[in-house]
Amino acid sequence: MKGKTALSERQVEVAAGTVVVTVDHVNLDYHKEKEPLPVLTDVSLTAVKDQLVAITGPSGCGKSTLLRIISGLVKPTSGRVRVLDSEVKGPRDDISIVFQNFVLLPWRTALENVLFGLSSRKDLTDEQKNRKAESALEIAGLQGFESVYPGELSGGMKQRVGVARALAGDPRVMLLDEPFSSLDDLTAERLRREMHTLLISPQTSVQSVILVSHNVEEIIELADKVIVLSSRPAHVVGELKVDLPRPRNKKSDEFFQWVDRVYSLLS
Amino acid sequence: MTLDFGLVALDIISSWIRMILALVLSILFALAVGIWAARSKRAEAVILPLLDIFQSIPILAFFPFVIFAIYGLPGSVLHNFVGANLAVIILIFTSMSWNIAFGVYEAVKAIPQDYIDLLSVTQASSWQRIRSLYIPASMSRVAYNTQISWAVGLFFLAASEIISEGQGGAGEQIPIPYGIGVGAAAFPPASADYALLIAGIVVAVVIWRYLFLRAFALWSEKFKMMEEPRDVHRDPITRFYSYVNHRAVSKLFLIAHGMGVSRFTSTITRFRRGLKYAVLIFLLLIALLLLSALSHAGGVNLGGLPSWSEVVTDELGILYALGVSFVRVWYVYAICVAIGLPLGIAISLNFKLYDAVSPVLEVISSVPAPILLPVIVLIPVLGGSSEAVAALVIMLAIIWYIIFNVMAGVRTLPADLKDLPNVYRTGRLAAWRNVYLPGALTGFVTGSITAIGGAWNALIIAEYFNPLGSSVPLTEVGSGIGKAIAIATNSADYLTLTLAVASMTALIVGFNLVVWRRLYNRVTKRYTYNR
Repeated sequence: MKGKTALSERQVEVAAGTVVVTVDHVNLDYHKEKEPLPVLTDVSLTAVKDQLVAITGPSGCGKSTLLRIISGLVKPTSGRVRVLDSEVKGPRDDISIVFQNFVLLPWRTALENVLFGLSSRKDLTDEQKNRKAESALEIAGLQGFESVYPGELSGGMKQRVGVARALAGDPRVMLLDEPFSSLDDLTAERLRREMHTLLISPQTSVQSVILVSHNVEEIIELADKVIVLSSRPAHVVGELKVDLPRPRNKKSDEFFQWVDRVYSLLS
Repeated sequence: MTLDFGLVALDIISSWIRMILALVLSILFALAVGIWAARSKRAEAVILPLLDIFQSIPILAFFPFVIFAIYGLPGSVLHNFVGANLAVIILIFTSMSWNIAFGVYEAVKAIPQDYIDLLSVTQASSWQRIRSLYIPASMSRVAYNTQISWAVGLFFLAASEIISEGQGGAGEQIPIPYGIGVGAAAFPPASADYALLIAGIVVAVVIWRYLFLRAFALWSEKFKMMEEPRDVHRDPITRFYSYVNHRAVSKLFLIAHGMGVSRFTSTITRFRRGLKYAVLIFLLLIALLLLSALSHAGGVNLGGLPSWSEVVTDELGILYALGVSFVRVWYVYAICVAIGLPLGIAISLNFKLYDAVSPVLEVISSVPAPILLPVIVLIPVLGGSSEAVAALVIMLAIIWYIIFNVMAGVRTLPADLKDLPNVYRTGRLAAWRNVYLPGALTGFVTGSITAIGGAWNALIIAEYFNPLGSSVPLTEVGSGIGKAIAIATNSADYLTLTLAVASMTALIVGFNLVVWRRLYNRVTKRYTYNR
């Protein structure tokens, strides 16, 4: 458990209730030939400390694109994204992504894949990087699988490597892009159950999680806040604070009422 | 000086007619053989390894035999214009058809069982099945593979036309009066006519590509029955070169799927089966040599068969030449890798560069390298060195396989993977080492196998070029198997020719089985990107 202190060093900086992520009037146009094609129009949202914010909307509406804007991978046409007080101008150390299709390097072991996520950290020695990567794998539930190649792992375990890679660099913000939708139902169920406790816990450095998903039940199970987008060009059609107590019972009537509420916004 | 537009046009049109006839023949052959292999287990067991062997042997080296068998045999009814052209067309056909046949085989093999069940339920006859399902299902593969086969075929067309010119030195002139290879051999290098010929070929390639090959590919799309992963950024070359890439991978694994065995064991069986054929070829060669030696020793003279000592000394000389050529092939290949691998990756990582560069590369790559030889000889930087000339001709013939396959490999990597170094800001070195180079590896190995095969073929033109049979050849390396073959062809020395072609084939087939196949299996196991 020696890695824990290192992983949580960013956790103490921020007081409860602080806004960690701000998406401020973001617009995005694609430029196809002559006319600009609007994809996102005036999208704003915030995520405060220890909050899991879910973004949903009809398929193809631009949810994942919005996530890529927050990560700094895609530049918005106008508007800004801030993490704490600094503007996101490109990919950075304190934001990580977990992808739908895991995006592991098949030619590298689990440990090497996690280490790859630490390549930019010039401040760490190789030994420190190794320790960090090992403890991230351990947190993600993959102790003993360090030298296994992704091809030899099940889908659920691959995604755990993806999570470990994203956690290893001590991110403040964790972006999840449909992280469970490539997994079979049972595996997804288990990973989902662990994910919330794993991410929003003093064990990790993560201060806010933003989840993109089209699975409404998944969203109600995990989210503190739900942002519903319209179809293209996407804008925010609803914002719901889900105040169901945790752990949430997926069979309860309240749970279904929340699910219905999101569905009615979607249709 | 007046430009001979008419002659140049006649050259190009004659060549194109040969190419089109060969293509039609190839497609018919491919449909027949491919469908047969895909629908019959017994045919499959024989046809696939044979296609594999034929695809890897240096076909060009067999051309003199083809010419001899069809045109040259004394008293042949084809000892005329028709026979000579038939020989050229057959050579082009052999260079084009394997690739298309594999495509058909895989397309038919990949038809979902539901469709086949549907036809069984409606009790369709075999011919109805072929017409209404197998042929349409193969169409898009046929179209893609036709694009590759066309470029390959042009090389063989040019080379065989040049070689058939050279055979005039041994006896009478072979009646192939027009063709791009004939033109390249006959026009003085650096003349206006020669330049016009090159320009004409480029124009013909571009027109043909856009009017026919591309239209064919687009038309065939409507026959696609399966949803295939679509690239966000799709254009014809990406699609067809990624298709080559994919084809090579699936060639090994689809079969496993079809046989219902695990992938791994099937790869092993295929390897063993291939080995059997290689051994068979070796045995045939030895038998040939023994037969010629024995018949002589026994006093039976079967029309000038050589003595054993002649066989041995010739073979020794040939083995030396083979060694020299082996080194030549590999150092030129190494240069091509050093240029092509990073170039291919860099081009496909940058959308703008890709859009700007790829059509240009596409056109340059379709001008057959043998045509350019007369002008390459004159490049001052090469200083008249025949070694440098040979290297450059081989390079121009093969570097495209590496560039295009690497490009296809990198482009089929998912966008998220290519973003990964960006997400983690890993820096360029780590990105190339961990993502781009390993990601390009499968395509690179596929391209390398084709490139090495192409290099052996190119040797025959690159090492010795003397189309008009003059006393001083245009270019001539010190030693090499391509030179040996070319000289033996010109002087109708069929013993040397047989020995040279046989040793070369044995070396290539053996090397493919022992080195490439293993390497390929290892690489595809780990370096194929599938989540």
